[in-house]
Amino acid sequence: MNMTPKGSPVKVYFNNVLNGISSMFEGMSITLASMFTRAQTVQYPEVDPRSVASQRQNYKGNFRGMPENYRGLLDVEMDICTACLICMRACPIDCIVITNVKCDKRVFNGRSGKKAVQTRAATRFDIDLGKCMFCGLCTLPCPTGAIFHTNEFAWNKEDLDSLVKRFVDPETGAAAQKRAEEIAQEEIAAKAAKAAAKEAEPSSGDSSSEES
Amino acid sequence: MLIESMTSLGVPELVAQLIYAGLVAFMCINFVAVYAGLISVVERRVAAKMQSRVGPNRVGPNGWLQWLADGVKLILKEDLIPAGADRLLFKAAPMIMAVGVAASFAVLPWGPAHAIAADLNVGILYLISISALVVIGILMAGWASNNKWSLLGGMRAAAQIVTYEVPVAMGLLPAIMIAGSLAVSDLVNAQGWAPWDWVAFDNPFAMLGFLLFLTGSVAESNRTPFDLTEAESELVAGYSTEYSGFRFAMFTLGEFANTWVVGAISAAIFLGGGLVPPILANVPGAAVGVFILKTLFMVFVLMWFRWTLPRFRIDQMMDFSWKYMLPLALLAFFGQSIYFLATWDSLVAQSVVSHLMVLIFLGVFFVFINRVLINYRHQATVVNSYKTETDYLVKTGKIVLAAPKEAAADSSEQEEG
Amino acid sequence: MGKSLKTEIMTINMGPQHPSTHGVIRFIIKTDGEIIHECIPDVGYLHRSIEKIAEAVSWQGFVPYTDRVDYLAAMNANWAYCTAVEKMIGAEVPRRAEFIRVIVGELNRISSHLIAIGATAMDLGAFTPFIQLLREREYINDLLEMACGARLTYNYISIGGVNWDVPPNWTEKIGEFLDHFELAMEQMNRLISYNRIFINRMANLATVSAETAIDYCFVGPNLRASGVKYDLRKDIPYSVYPELDFEIPVGEGREGAVGDCYDRYYVRAMEIRESIKILRQALKMMPEGEFQGKVKNNIKPEAGVAYVRHETPRGDTGYLIQADQKTSPYRLKIRTGSFTAMAAIPELAQGVFIADLVAIIGSLDVVAPELDR
Repeated sequence: MNMTPKGSPVKVYFNNVLNGISSMFEGMSITLASMFTRAQTVQYPEVDPRSVASQRQNYKGNFRGMPENYRGLLDVEMDICTACLICMRACPIDCIVITNVKCDKRVFNGRSGKKAVQTRAATRFDIDLGKCMFCGLCTLPCPTGAIFHTNEFAWNKEDLDSLVKRFVDPETGAAAQKRAEEIAQEEIAAKAAKAAAKEAEPSSGDSSSEES
Repeated sequence: MLIESMTSLGVPELVAQLIYAGLVAFMCINFVAVYAGLISVVERRVAAKMQSRVGPNRVGPNGWLQWLADGVKLILKEDLIPAGADRLLFKAAPMIMAVGVAASFAVLPWGPAHAIAADLNVGILYLISISALVVIGILMAGWASNNKWSLLGGMRAAAQIVTYEVPVAMGLLPAIMIAGSLAVSDLVNAQGWAPWDWVAFDNPFAMLGFLLFLTGSVAESNRTPFDLTEAESELVAGYSTEYSGFRFAMFTLGEFANTWVVGAISAAIFLGGGLVPPILANVPGAAVGVFILKTLFMVFVLMWFRWTLPRFRIDQMMDFSWKYMLPLALLAFFGQSIYFLATWDSLVAQSVVSHLMVLIFLGVFFVFINRVLINYRHQATVVNSYKTETDYLVKTGKIVLAAPKEAAADSSEQEEG
Repeated sequence: MGKSLKTEIMTINMGPQHPSTHGVIRFIIKTDGEIIHECIPDVGYLHRSIEKIAEAVSWQGFVPYTDRVDYLAAMNANWAYCTAVEKMIGAEVPRRAEFIRVIVGELNRISSHLIAIGATAMDLGAFTPFIQLLREREYINDLLEMACGARLTYNYISIGGVNWDVPPNWTEKIGEFLDHFELAMEQMNRLISYNRIFINRMANLATVSAETAIDYCFVGPNLRASGVKYDLRKDIPYSVYPELDFEIPVGEGREGAVGDCYDRYYVRAMEIRESIKILRQALKMMPEGEFQGKVKNNIKPEAGVAYVRHETPRGDTGYLIQADQKTSPYRLKIRTGSFTAMAAIPELAQGVFIADLVAIIGSLDVVAPELDR
């Protein structure tokens, strides 16, 4: 449907005028109709996108709030972290730094109920949230669901260093380090004992119980 | 009145006139400043409402003191004059533009027909002429800024304003012919309080004159669809790009105040401004109230145009004026003359025609309202309803809807947890 | 008045910061006041070395970067890159994942076209359609946020499928949105597309014939507006597009010549309608099942080259990947439609007004991040 008028110049002239007036008419009726529709602006901070209650109180638009799987700031539940370093390798911008040492073996259930075996503990777990681009590539391969996105989106600090979240405080790190050294000593002792036992008697029954 | 009281006290006539003029000028400038500020907030709120958003609502009660915040900010800004700019012209340009707009307030009525500061017997002619001072101001601003973009904007503006003087003046001709005088008070008194006594509905040619006057005035005040001189997308801010602080505020104030002038003249000359039905004749302030309502309605129509239509290009705008508006203006003029010849003696014919015009207008109005309702229904179709939030929760058994009203509350609590 | 007036050609800079160029692009315009004599684009202000960065990150780690190559059509860019890697390593994508990919790709196509249409209208002075189209786009952002958790840089489509499954009420919400959006889009057409002032600004401007379009390697809506019926979804089909039924809108000189600015604008408006059709079919046909195929965590493909072309909202986006048995690509090249569209501007902008240049850039839908990568 072509609307540009064609034909004799007089006809074109009048059709131009009529077409112009009618399209303007229609456009103005649309804007007048928009005047009576509700504003869709979510007036943060009076209306919090995370809370349905605050929306029902103060907001009349069509926004239904943030979904549960919103990719906000990262958080780590150290109780179920196995320090496997998968998230560190998955991050494309290297904003996660983890150092791990040996620890006592622990078997537990991760967030989704899957069984997880922990053999290493983290002495340092830093996430530089100033660099993070919230892509979620670290949360996907995590075997226990320890690292996850919260729905927090506002986090202002006064200098760049405070943007780094440290999940292992120095005492826990030092304790893990100490325990790792102890385990190393125990292993050396167990190896020595086993070697001595092998020299003394070539029997196989004397397996040391500390050897795990 | 004031002048007589002063001369009777012994003040020489010239001095009394000067004092009177000074007082009027003072009040006009104050009105321009306050009105322009308030109308800037109104414009932003109206624009926001047309765009499904909220607009400024933080400063003051519901945002109504936003203009004070803007004014204070602009006054406190650094006064930059670009290197290489012509200093005298640069400083004079905003003042000339503001003077051109403010001086036209001297012939505007303020309610009843006699309440005009200076009821010249060539009032309308004075109005059209003095508002052409704005061109000089814009040209000066464009040239003195030493900026190629400003120069382009200034030249475009000069061409535009000069071109659209013609339809504005010729659109006023039917009204002038009906009243038989150029004085604004006579033009108002030639009408009656009822719509069929207004000049706009007197005959089709007067209506045409009104529409031409309105369109020409929109172009004169550099508003969309004719705002290519300050088109943000192309020239940053056109002729006022290099202006900052209070000088910029003067340009903006002049533009907003011009909307009042357009509204007031439309209301006074074409819509029977200030004339009230006999019932309200003794109510104090009725005339002023009616006049202000009509003026503000016309200002709203100007805003409505701005937020609906895209802008013209420079050559299309010139085409529009010379090829479309000028022939229509001539048609209005000659048509009005022929109408006079045909119906000069018969008042019945005149009254029939004007009542018919009112009926036609009402018909068009109802068609328009119908379109508005249809468009409203299109926009208000449901999106993101709570049903889509709660349906699947009910299906999977996570929640149980007790009763329709509490259902939403239940589901919201369940969703939270 | 025998002497003619001496005029000069002035050189104006439509600089990197300008309210109407879509991103940071610079034009050096030689004009005599209103008519442009020469227009030289200067690109590269938004160059972020994305192709070089690809050589340092892993194969999955590069997916967020493809989001940012063209952030208005992020899903389609993700999809093109992942298809290239899947072609190289021979991964299989489950059927449900294919349908989810089509749905989010078409939703993203709609939202990208809404920005293209809205930005063109706003550059021409009509502010209201832009804001109202943004309002509609917010609903699409909400839908995509429900699927993946982010509103602009999705990182949703991954090698082998999609990263997260969609919520259970997603299909109903999309259906409800489409019912509302069809009416709203028709209303927007009445507000701006059929407006006489808008048509006069855009018709018969910068007409590109079919031969010129092919010479300049135009792709996508720009090419189709010049009358060439070529769409990768029909001509070199990928994913499940062969099973979906939709038309290809082609420019027909609706209000002026074939291939003028109005045609380019209108083809995008028509494509939105076709996308709505595709979405309705895909929603009905989406099966249950897996949403991610079995792909190893650290991919080390054989040495080789793969090139995949996808129909993104801005045309034919191609991802060339050269692998070398490492965990990062050896070389990755992205071919975008905006780059070739930009190359045509010096020829199209000859002899037009400066105001028209803005309309031309808007109708070609040039976005700076895709231009400079």
